Amino acid sequence: MKKSYLYLAGLVASLAMAGTATQAVADDEITRGQLMASSCKACHNAAGAQQGVTELSHFPAEIIASQMRAFRDGDRAATIMDRHAKGYTDEEIDAMAAYFGRF
Amino acid sequence: MHDFSRRNFLKVAGITGAAAFTGIGCAANGVQGADKAHIVVVGGGSGGATAAKYIKQFSPATRVTLIEPNATYHTCYGSNWVIGGFASMGDIAQGYDTLRDDHGIEIVQDRVTAVDAAARSVRLAGGDSMSYDKLVMSPGIDFRYDAMPGISEADADRIPHAWKAGAQTELLRSQLRDMPNGGVFVMVAPPNPFRCPPGPYERVSLVAHYFKQEKPRSKIIILDPKDAFSKQGLFEEGWAEHYGDMIEWRAGSEGGRAEEIDVDNMTVMADSGFERVRADVLNFIPAQRAGQIAHDVGLTNDAGWVPVDQLTFKSEMDDNIYVLGDASVAGAMPKSGHSANNQGKIVAAAIVRELSGQEPINPSSANTCYSLVTPEYAISVAAVYQYQDGAMSGVDGAGGVSPMGASSSVRRREAGYTRAWYDGITHDIWG
Ligand SMILES: Cc1cc2nc3c(=O)[nH]c(=O)nc-3n(C[C@H](O)[C@H](O)[C@H](O)COP(=O)(O)OP(=O)(O)OC[C@H]3O[C@@H](n4cnc5c(N)ncnc54)[C@H](O)[C@@H]3O)c2cc1C
Ligand code: HEC
Repeated sequence: MKKSYLYLAGLVASLAMAGTATQAVADDEITRGQLMASSCKACHNAAGAQQGVTELSHFPAEIIASQMRAFRDGDRAATIMDRHAKGYTDEEIDAMAAYFGRF
Repeated sequence: MHDFSRRNFLKVAGITGAAAFTGIGCAANGVQGADKAHIVVVGGGSGGATAAKYIKQFSPATRVTLIEPNATYHTCYGSNWVIGGFASMGDIAQGYDTLRDDHGIEIVQDRVTAVDAAARSVRLAGGDSMSYDKLVMSPGIDFRYDAMPGISEADADRIPHAWKAGAQTELLRSQLRDMPNGGVFVMVAPPNPFRCPPGPYERVSLVAHYFKQEKPRSKIIILDPKDAFSKQGLFEEGWAEHYGDMIEWRAGSEGGRAEEIDVDNMTVMADSGFERVRADVLNFIPAQRAGQIAHDVGLTNDAGWVPVDQLTFKSEMDDNIYVLGDASVAGAMPKSGHSANNQGKIVAAAIVRELSGQEPINPSSANTCYSLVTPEYAISVAAVYQYQDGAMSGVDGAGGVSPMGASSSVRRREAGYTRAWYDGITHDIWG
């Protein structure tokens, strides 16, 4: 019992470390998802948030991705995001969402 | 164009850098090539300040110097709100303290007078020189007064353009304030391409807003060399709803093309001399070209703009100079603050990646231009762009303008988002 718990803890720890290592290498290169996500920050940042435009840096990746698809596919009404979201493929939405979701 | 041996060398340096970072677990982007470089940015406006800030975000160890002659930058966005009488100059003022203190950018308050591209150095009006590894230029626009007979740049202190914000904005505002009820405000709109396609039409909307409240018998005439303008249907819908027939727009083919300005008599000649339009307040917005320094450095084409590789915004004329914002030829992207902001991020990524021996990223970008028709009624145009076949092109099916005939609550929501956009983008650039 105790042994397997430790084993699991070790696994989690090594996975976490693997994650960190991959992250460090990935961080060394600016990704397309990062560059695209940076364009959203013109409106989505701390100052925009005070006027009702959500700051995405603290937003779960799945929600960003699902809301972008909803805007794009007409499932969520919007004043501007519908027109923006139609410019991105599923793959691009996921890449941006993954970048924001890291924080 | 490509120096392969140097590229390969940098690639090796980049791998070594990556290995080192894996060891110490550095969180931010950054590689040795970029870490050792000095990037000089000319112009602390929408494009230049964004590029400076994002180079630091992508590669914190890179040395970045921003050269800008003014201690305070007044955004053109929001300047029509000042002209309309419901915002102050302080509301549109931006400074450089945060870029210096929080982002580690060296700020030099001076003007670049020359660039020695071979020696990779810039000369400053103050007399100093400064060397660079990569030069970023976002000098904005200058005017082509020579394209309009009868008027010269020296007349701008009587007949403001107010197309660079600051003293010019205040001048136009004070002239409108002094104008008697029943006066005529005449705008001579610029030919394409020019900074902020919906800007002239937002301006007349907000002058009309001011007149409606304070000087309701006054009249507004737009003399336009063009036969169509940005968000035209939406503007005209809003004008009819809010200002009745106060605003008269004359298309180029219907006598709107100004041919000469009689400065002393405040009169615009149009339609082969058949039309003489007298103004109480005259707002002449001249034809435009890239900022003077881009011409001095030899980066411009015959039309007066800077051709660039739209994948990276690197000048076609020089491998170490990047030009963005209004001065550049950017495919389908309009000359706007939002475009300049996005191009600043593309340039920052392109420079850091090149210095690290990496290929450029195929960029995706966006623009949104909000316009207030009244302080509580806004319309917008948006687009998403991708690099395709050598140019930034609009992504099919995305973008477009606000719906015609929308309810006042939709217009009001967009007016709220107009202010959110202002606060957001200025924070992204200077905050
Ligand atoms: C009335 C009006 C309304 C507008 N509204 C909007 C809007 O709602 N949304 C929008 O997106 N855009 C808007 N714009 C457009 C926007 O202001 C510009 O497109 C944007 O600022 C362009 O950025 P830039 O970096 O190219 O130039 P600028 O922002 O003009 O910056 C150029 C900078 O370079 C400096 N400079 C020039 N030469 C030198 C030199 N030799 N050495 C050092 N520094 C130098 C200048 O001092 C200046 O600070 C509006 C414009 C106008 C006129
Ligand atoms: C021009 C400003 C602007 C830009 C650029 C922009 N957004 Fe938005 N965003 C808005 C506004 C305004 C809303 C509110 C919905 C509406 O009316 O369109 C919003 C809403 C959202 C929401 C929903 C937030 C919530 O609280 O539910 C998400 C997710 C989002 N945007 C993602 C993005 C992504 C990803 C990008 C970049 C590709 C982006 N946005 C670019 C203005 C912008």
